Amino acid sequence: MSKISIPIGPQHPLLKEPLSMMVDISGERVLGASLRLGYVHRGIERLAQTRTYTQNVHLIERICGICSHIHTTTYCQAVEAVLGVEIPLRASYLRALMCELERVHSHLLWLGILAKHIGLDTIFMHAWHDRESVLDVMEEISGGRVLHAANQIGGVRFDIDHDHDSMIRSALKKLHEQVAGLLDVIENEPALIARTKGVAPVSPEVIKKYCVVGPMARASGVNVDMRRENPIPPYDQLDFSVVTHPDGDAWSRTYVRVEEIRVSLNLCESILEQLPEGPVNIRVPRRVPAGEVIIRSEAPRGELFYYLRSDGTDKPARLKVRTPTLAALSLLPEQLSAIHVADIPVVLAGVDLCVACADR
Amino acid sequence: MKRLKKQFSLFSAIVDAFVEPPETIRYPFEPLNLPDVIRGALVLDTEKCSGCGLCVRNCPADALELDNKSRDEFRLIHYPARCAYCGQCEDSCRSGAIYHTNQLVKPITDPETCVVILHDKRG
Amino acid sequence: MIEGLFYLLLFPGLVFQVVCGLGFEWVDRKLLALFQRRVGPPWYQPLADMIKLFGKEDLLPTQANDLIASLLPLISLSAVLTAGLYVPIAGFSPFSFEGDLIVILFLMSVPTLSYYLAGILSIGIYSVLGGGRSLLQYFSYEVPFLIALSGPAVAAGSWSVEGIMNAQFSLGSFILFQPLGFLLALIGLIGKLKRDPLDIPSAKSEVIGGSLTEYTGAKLAFWHLVMNVQAVVGIFLMINLFLGWTKFHNPAIALAVFVLEVLLITGVLSTTSAVFARLRIDQLAGFGWRILVPLSIAQLTFVILMGA
Repeated sequence: MSKISIPIGPQHPLLKEPLSMMVDISGERVLGASLRLGYVHRGIERLAQTRTYTQNVHLIERICGICSHIHTTTYCQAVEAVLGVEIPLRASYLRALMCELERVHSHLLWLGILAKHIGLDTIFMHAWHDRESVLDVMEEISGGRVLHAANQIGGVRFDIDHDHDSMIRSALKKLHEQVAGLLDVIENEPALIARTKGVAPVSPEVIKKYCVVGPMARASGVNVDMRRENPIPPYDQLDFSVVTHPDGDAWSRTYVRVEEIRVSLNLCESILEQLPEGPVNIRVPRRVPAGEVIIRSEAPRGELFYYLRSDGTDKPARLKVRTPTLAALSLLPEQLSAIHVADIPVVLAGVDLCVACADR
Repeated sequence: MKRLKKQFSLFSAIVDAFVEPPETIRYPFEPLNLPDVIRGALVLDTEKCSGCGLCVRNCPADALELDNKSRDEFRLIHYPARCAYCGQCEDSCRSGAIYHTNQLVKPITDPETCVVILHDKRG
Repeated sequence: MIEGLFYLLLFPGLVFQVVCGLGFEWVDRKLLALFQRRVGPPWYQPLADMIKLFGKEDLLPTQANDLIASLLPLISLSAVLTAGLYVPIAGFSPFSFEGDLIVILFLMSVPTLSYYLAGILSIGIYSVLGGGRSLLQYFSYEVPFLIALSGPAVAAGSWSVEGIMNAQFSLGSFILFQPLGFLLALIGLIGKLKRDPLDIPSAKSEVIGGSLTEYTGAKLAFWHLVMNVQAVVGIFLMINLFLGWTKFHNPAIALAVFVLEVLLITGVLSTTSAVFARLRIDQLAGFGWRILVPLSIAQLTFVILMGA
């Protein structure tokens, strides 16, 4: 059969964000793919150099529409490290609470997108319905569903009281049941297993070669989690397991992510249990002394890397952000070969692309 | 039998969904229950505002502008179309004069409403 | 003359079937929405969608032939409407004759072939892919579908749909004797209608809109109508062949039973589209030829042996 190239993107029902791929196919087989990036490049790193540290908190939050909180958390941690201030313990617990809620909402969103791509709209709707209760919790405590504006340099802006505590606990309890139901479906639904099991498996060697991080690496049996390896308070005081699966195919990625939702829900509960009393933020000086710092943290999609250099003014001299999606994107052309055309959506969904993160 | 029941777990999920009422909120036909902490329309308590300009300095979207001649003669201007509703001004204000209410902001279509003069204190 | 025109244009012809088609789409969408915790569209939504599509600009790629592209949906629509004339509705069948089942099945496969041609002739990468897929799918489901539908005909000893329906009064509904045949026919019908989980030719995330990617405006509206009327005719056919018991002296009872059975089949179709993921085309071909065809042949052999 003759070879034809089909364009996927920049505008395609498969992609929620602009990303361009030319996929060479022959009949129903995919031969190879090439990738083009940069459609949502907004120059945020450069822009950050022209604004003050306080203003940058809100700029950084807009790098990603899903994992906005972990970006600001990492940025604030970087600035606090250069300043040499220690934030109150309660603030770091509240930050971690938001991070875990965000992980739950990101993974549920991802599960919905995978289900939508393989034509299982019911799971899509049910997963997003469950996600809505996470968003409600976040809205209730921080004032925003997606852009929480919860962080400030020196702590957090919100505090939770007794009402919030019981509201979050009941929401977590409900979510536990709903996620158990979703896991039941993922482990047993025959058509879903037929579509995802054995699709584009990635070996741990390839994962290490391309420096892929996060749930994708863990689904290939690479046991890596920044929360454990680079514990910033309060993760050094919390007990949690890292979910891995040896297969590396689309199904094991689904499994890892849904199990991670459960781990995160348990983490939220233990954070609420151990939440110390005290203030939630401290005042910090406007000017940051000269210095540089590297902070790594675990975003829903994997390791998030921030490099910050300051020169003693109230504006950063350089801010470098490396997001987990960038590594996953470099693996994409390799994955998109020797598969069926019908598997393209499964592979793309399995990566959990966040193009806005990668392009910045 | 248990395995067979698990095979149909999605079926039981849709039966549950069918029996229960839909989750959709038919806004604007139904009222929305918004929490108090939502960052909605921006208001200024003119009694408390001292015109120090801290909110203007920290605004990440340049949505606030201070037009001042002296300490007692100034105008505070808000551009809602630029505003990111991040709450930084509320956070920066030392006297608690500027704050977000939980009223949803309607989309701006009228050029007249693109500039809101929050405070006009001129001789 | 007047009577004939009434049959053709009003009942059981054009107007009735179009109304039923739009009604089917609404019931299907509403059920699916309720399964997914949504509210779903109001009852006039399918009609509103059609009117809106008629108002849209009509575009085609420059290399595509406008005449053929316009004719294909019209041919398909007339084929399914004609097929609908021969299917008894609540026991009412003015045009019934011996052997009309074969005519119906022939006419029902016209839209699939037009769909393929529409994809190939509208010159677009996605539509060519979708067209090829629709033909591949046709070869997978059509053989078990035809064999499964001939089960009731053999059992009743008649190839007229009305004859098969009447035979079920004395023999009992064929779904009781041939549940496997009913299941196979249902799978075939889902494949024919390109519904989830067999919506491979029009899978949005894989081939955008399939064959209809390049279609717009009134032509697309006609295509949607074809799919809906085809669904209605297919459901009516299934009821007459497998459920029966729709002809009573009191037309009110007959109509009530008929509507009940239509809703039952629609519910089954909506449920399957809600709980199953889309198959891959190679999985469907394997499923069709390795499982469905042997099963349908076994079913038919069983029916023949029982009759002998």
